[in-house]
Amino acid sequence: MIDKMMNTRLFQWVDERTDLGAIIKSQLTEYPVPKNLNYMWNFGSLALLVLVLQILTGIFLVMYYKPSAELTYGGYTVAFDSVERIMRDINFGWLIRYMHAVGASAFFVVVYMHIGRGLYYGSFKSPRELLWIIGVVILLIMQGAAFFGYLLPWGQMSFWGATVITNLFGALPVLGEYLQQVLRGGFAVGDPTLNRFFSLHYLFPLLLAAIVGGHIHALHVVHSNNPDGIDIDHEKDAIPFHPYYTVKDAFGVGVFLLGYCYFVFFNPEAWGYFIEVDNFVPANNLQTPAHIAPVWYLTPWYTILRTFENKLVGVLMMGASLAVLFVLPFLDKSTVRSSRYRPVYRQMVILFFISVVVLGYCGHSAPTATLKVVGTIATSVYFGFFLLLPFVHKFEKTRPLPGGE
Amino acid sequence: MKGIMMKTTHFSLLACLTLMLAPAMASASGDGVALRHAEITFDNETLRKGLTVFTDVCMGCHAAKYISYRNLMDYPELGLSREEVDELRGDKALMSGLITELSPEDAAESYGKTPPDLSVIARARRGGGNYLYSILTGYEADPHGKIEDGSYNIYYPGNRTAMPDPLAWMGHDESETADLEEQARTVASFLVFIGDPHQLERKAIGVWVMGFLILLTLVLWMLKREVWKDVKKH
Repeated sequence: MIDKMMNTRLFQWVDERTDLGAIIKSQLTEYPVPKNLNYMWNFGSLALLVLVLQILTGIFLVMYYKPSAELTYGGYTVAFDSVERIMRDINFGWLIRYMHAVGASAFFVVVYMHIGRGLYYGSFKSPRELLWIIGVVILLIMQGAAFFGYLLPWGQMSFWGATVITNLFGALPVLGEYLQQVLRGGFAVGDPTLNRFFSLHYLFPLLLAAIVGGHIHALHVVHSNNPDGIDIDHEKDAIPFHPYYTVKDAFGVGVFLLGYCYFVFFNPEAWGYFIEVDNFVPANNLQTPAHIAPVWYLTPWYTILRTFENKLVGVLMMGASLAVLFVLPFLDKSTVRSSRYRPVYRQMVILFFISVVVLGYCGHSAPTATLKVVGTIATSVYFGFFLLLPFVHKFEKTRPLPGGE
Repeated sequence: MKGIMMKTTHFSLLACLTLMLAPAMASASGDGVALRHAEITFDNETLRKGLTVFTDVCMGCHAAKYISYRNLMDYPELGLSREEVDELRGDKALMSGLITELSPEDAAESYGKTPPDLSVIARARRGGGNYLYSILTGYEADPHGKIEDGSYNIYYPGNRTAMPDPLAWMGHDESETADLEEQARTVASFLVFIGDPHQLERKAIGVWVMGFLILLTLVLWMLKREVWKDVKKH
């Protein structure tokens, strides 16, 4: 089909002026991909799909959404009213809005799987360090975008979540208070906060789109890692991206959409995990909800924050827990990439995954003495992973790699 | 053998974690009394009865501003005729929301706080329809005798509610129980419905979407197998 298209006169005309044919060849039809990739390698293309879905649904939501905290009848606000108007009166507004709300969680599901795969198979190691670092930038911008977006419906959890998180900046020395006021546009979360968060919620996905371009470019320079984590012979062990991986990714999209559409059409609140119950209560600055928790995808880091009694220490540790991902490629000194041939690292990385899930559970639940202990243990495991990593290669007996390398 | 050992280690680790978390889970849900189960249905008869309870009882103090009189005609689940809506709205505009006559100021003076708008109340309370049903049928005499009758509700967090027993549940005759429970059930169903008035349409469309996606995914899977059949494993 591609060959037929490339033979048309229109394509020739464009090709002479853009070299499009060469791009298609180098990036698709002749771009080499290891043939032994498993289904864990599907999550990158899925993340791209969800990003596009989020931007498209977002563009339509903005046509009706009104970022104003002005009070209206019944203790609601213009912003809350406009969201309900989208849900009730705009043709298929409910579909667009639920796609966007479920999409936010879906985005984190696929991106966390994508990151987990990179960790497990050592995709962050040489020569893919920068590819990984660009990925961490994407993760941070995503988390920012999600946080800004969550304020927009102006429900109780929107308001108090934003209050708690912007408060954290106030804990930083010297510039803290100033930063907090700049973020809020005043001394407390209010109408100016809503407007600047709305602006940033529109900006960040555009940044994401650009940086994702860089991520894919970097990938296409160093090429994909594979489950064995060994450098492959491009003649023998690689197959072109198109048609092999376009069709495999398309099948992955089908499976993903089945899950995504189940939630969009049958369970958009996901038992309060995607849309929290408290966020149907309009924001009220005089009434703090009994239990403030961020949405599930931010709860692991929220637990790390809460683990430390001292607020500044908590903020710094939370920052460190994300910042450490930037230096991960340089902490791990082993020359073997994949967990398949690294018995010690494999145990460590699985423990690390468990610690993130446990941290997430703790952050989502109301704090209790038991959870505090569990959260502290999980936090230690989280940081322990990175602390132990530089020393693993000294005692780890790796298994022989296939091909005798 | 080693693989099995490793799996066992992981399993026992998970089991440990689960055991550690178990008490926390129990206390997390042990906050209030178990709610009564309400048979929430969206058939026309139930929703119309619920609407009547809403306009006759709830709307004395509460509003549902996101539902307009026009909506009562337009949502097929309710499907009121123009005549019925005209009778219900009196001189209010067709596009007006279901707004109570009681002003927020008067309400605050009489009850100590403004009664919340009920448009999304079923989604704004844990337990949804069951919670609403339980509250309406939860008025009892305070066993400790501290809270006056009509303000004590076994299902309300903290037990003291500012809403005086709207269905006159407390001390009702046994012969009235079925009728009062039906009123509570229908109005709870109505409130769950208006919380997300496109939910039936959404699920109906969803069935087709899922059916299409299952077929599409199946075809893509077969296509993938076909394209990949000449790729040797090693």
